[in-house]
Amino acid sequence: MTAGGTPKNGSANGSGGDSPDQPRTLARVRPPLDPNNRVVAITGARSFLGTELIKQLEADRRYRRVIALDIRKPELSLEKTEYHPLDLTLPTADGDLAAVLEGKGVDTLVHAAFLSHPTHASEWAHELEDIGTMHVFNACARILPARVVMVSTTMVYGASPSNPNFLSEDAPLAGNRDSRFIDDKVRAERQAARFADEHPEVAVTALRFAPILGGTISNWFTRFFARPMAPVLMGYDPLLQFVHERDAVRALEIALAREARGAFNIIGKGVLPYTTVLALMGKLPVPLPHFLARPLSRALWMTQVFDSPPSFLDFLRFLCVADGSKAKAELGYAPRFAIKRAILDFLGVVGDDDGAPDHVRAQG
Amino acid sequence: MSRPEDEPESPTGSTLDGVPDAEVPADAADLDLDPIADVYGEEFLGGEAVVPPGDYGPPIPSRLPDSEQVSSEMRELERRVRAHMTPAFPVEPRRRLPLRFLWKRYRKLAMRDRSDFVDEFGRDPLQAARIAPLLDFLYRQYFRVEAVGLDNIPDHGRALLVANHSGTLPYDGAMVMHAVRSEHPSRRDVRPLVEDFVFHFPYLGTFINRIGGVRACQENATRLLERDQLVVVFPEGAKGVGKLYKERYKLQRFGRGGFVKLALRTRATIVPVAIVGAEETHPMLSKITWLAKILGIPYVPITPTFPLLGPLGLLPLPSKWTIHFGEPIDLPAEYGPEAADDRILVGRLSENVRSRIQSMIGTILGDRRSVLLG
Repeated sequence: MTAGGTPKNGSANGSGGDSPDQPRTLARVRPPLDPNNRVVAITGARSFLGTELIKQLEADRRYRRVIALDIRKPELSLEKTEYHPLDLTLPTADGDLAAVLEGKGVDTLVHAAFLSHPTHASEWAHELEDIGTMHVFNACARILPARVVMVSTTMVYGASPSNPNFLSEDAPLAGNRDSRFIDDKVRAERQAARFADEHPEVAVTALRFAPILGGTISNWFTRFFARPMAPVLMGYDPLLQFVHERDAVRALEIALAREARGAFNIIGKGVLPYTTVLALMGKLPVPLPHFLARPLSRALWMTQVFDSPPSFLDFLRFLCVADGSKAKAELGYAPRFAIKRAILDFLGVVGDDDGAPDHVRAQG
Repeated sequence: MSRPEDEPESPTGSTLDGVPDAEVPADAADLDLDPIADVYGEEFLGGEAVVPPGDYGPPIPSRLPDSEQVSSEMRELERRVRAHMTPAFPVEPRRRLPLRFLWKRYRKLAMRDRSDFVDEFGRDPLQAARIAPLLDFLYRQYFRVEAVGLDNIPDHGRALLVANHSGTLPYDGAMVMHAVRSEHPSRRDVRPLVEDFVFHFPYLGTFINRIGGVRACQENATRLLERDQLVVVFPEGAKGVGKLYKERYKLQRFGRGGFVKLALRTRATIVPVAIVGAEETHPMLSKITWLAKILGIPYVPITPTFPLLGPLGLLPLPSKWTIHFGEPIDLPAEYGPEAADDRILVGRLSENVRSRIQSMIGTILGDRRSVLLG
C-alpha cells in the first residue's frame, strides 16, 4: 500500500512538464470539474451496473467522454465511449490503469469491477476485488480525479442477530464469518475509506447496494431464486430487502452527478419476509433445521453442486436490512420501486398476474 | 422506504404496491432526464410539419451533391435515434415459467395466510388481524384483564411505556398491546420491544415479529419513537421473565437505564405501567441451566405443569390480570437531550421509574384477594 500514499514527490512522473524541485501537487492543479463536459472512466464496464451506466452516459450530453475498462469489451454500440482492456488481477494493473487515464482529463472514476456472485476460485476473486481495488486507488492517487464512486453492497454489514432493523452507514462492517466473497468487499471498502482520508481533495463515494433484483440483472440472488426450490431455516424468517435494478442505475447516475462523500445505502422500497418472497415467486420452500443446513450447504458448496457458500445461510436466518435515509438526505436518491415490483420484474410477470389476490384486482 | 403511519394498511393486508412511483424526491426532476429529450432537445419531440393536401406535381429530383452519402448519413442518424430509443431495460419474460397455471395456483396457495406487504419492522397486517381474536379471547375471557388509567396514554405523539416483565412467556407485551388497541379511545398501536432471546427463538420470534414485536435495541426504539409511535419496553429484560416464583413482583435491575437515555434523546414522555397477574401464568419453581446451555436458550423452566404435563404444561394459568397505566413522567420538560450523557442522572431517573412501578404494583397487590379471581 505504499503507492496509495501521498502523491507528493512522485517517483515516476508520467505527465511531464513538472520541474523536479516543485511539489507535485502544485504542478497538477486540476481544472475544476465542468458539469457539462464530464469525462468518466468505468472499471468493470461489462458488469451490469457498468453496462447500464454506459448506456445512460452515452445518451447524456453532459458527459463528453466515457472510458470503459474491463477484460472484455462491452457489447454495446458505443459512440463517445472508448474501450481499453484492463485486467485488475495483473500485478501491473495500477500502472496500466494510470497510463490509460493519464492526460485524458478524467474527472470521475467509477469502480464497479466486483463480482456479483461468489466463486470457487477464491484466490482469483481476492486478487480482483481486494488487490484490484488497491490498484484502482493507486491509479487514482496518480491521476487524482475529482470524484471516485465505488460500488459496494449492504452485505458488508453481515447478517447478525444483533443487527437493528435498519443498519445505518455508521454500522460496523462486520462482514460474514468464513465468507471470502463478502470479506473481499469489506476490504475494498476499507481501502476506499483510507484513500478518502489520505486524499481529501478527492470525493470518494461508496454506494452500498441492497441486493439488486429485476428483469435483466444476473447475480447471486437471481441465481438463487432461479431454482424451483429454496432452503428455509426452520423457525427463521428474516426480512429481506431488494433494490430494483432501475433504481440502482439511477442511484449510480445521481452519485456521478452530485458530489457526495462517504458511504450510502442504496435500498429499495419496503421489506418482505423471506418466505413471503418465496411464496410470491412460487418457489417451494424446503425447511431444514439449522444444525443440518450448514453441513449440508458446506458439502454442496465443496462438491460444487450448489453455488451458494454456507455463509449465505446467515442471510436466511438474521436481518441484514439497510437504512436509506442518508442517501435520501445527502445524495437525493429515494427508491421508486417497491420490493414487490422488483420481484415481479425478476419473474418477468407482466400484465394480468400481478400477484394480487382476486378481491383486490376486482376493485381495480 | 415505507413509513408505517402513512402506508395504507387494510385489515386484509393486501395493498397493490406493484405500481412504482409514490414518492419522488422534489429535486429528482433535474436528475432523471429523458434520454431523447436530453440529446435532441425539445424540438425533437415537436410535431411533424403539416403539408396541406393538394397536387404538387411530379416529385422533384434531389439536387444535393451526393445523395448516396446523404442517405447513408440518414441511416446513421436513424440508427443512433433507434439506439437511444432502445429501452435500457427491455421487458422480456426472461424466465418462461413451465406449467404457468399450476404455478399460479401454487402461488395463490402459498400466499393464502400472508399478505404481500409488511411494515418496515416486519408486521404482517393479515397475520396480525388473524391473531386479534385470539388475543381478544385471552384478554377478555382468559386473563380478564382490567386496564386502569388508559387516559394517561396520549392520543397522539410519541410515548415510551415502561412496564415490569414477568411470566416466562411474553404474554404481558401482547396484553399491553391489545389493551391500548381495544380500549384506548384512539385505538393506537403499541409496538413492544422484544428481548433478543425471544426474538431469535425459532418460530416464536418470527411469529412475534409478524404480529408487531420489534427487536429491542436503541436504534429500533429511536426509529419508532421518531415516527411518533407508542413503544412498550421491559427494562428488566430476560432477568424479568426468567425470575423464580418466589421472587415475584420484585422488580429486577432496570438494565443500564437505556430507556431513560432513549426518552431523553427522542423527547418522549415515559408512562410507567404495572402489570399484575402475569407472574402467576407460569409460576417458575426452578430452572435448568445446563440443558438450556445445550439448547442455546437462557433457561428451561420448571413450573407446576411443565414439563410434567408435556405440551399441555405450556398453557398459562388463567390468573386475573390488572394493568395499571400510571401518571406520565415528562422527562423532556425537565431535562434536555444532553442529560442522556449524564450517567449518574440517568441511573437516578431509571431508579425513580422503577420505584414508581414497584409502588404501583404494591398498591394493586394490596387490593388483590385472589390470584385467580382478583
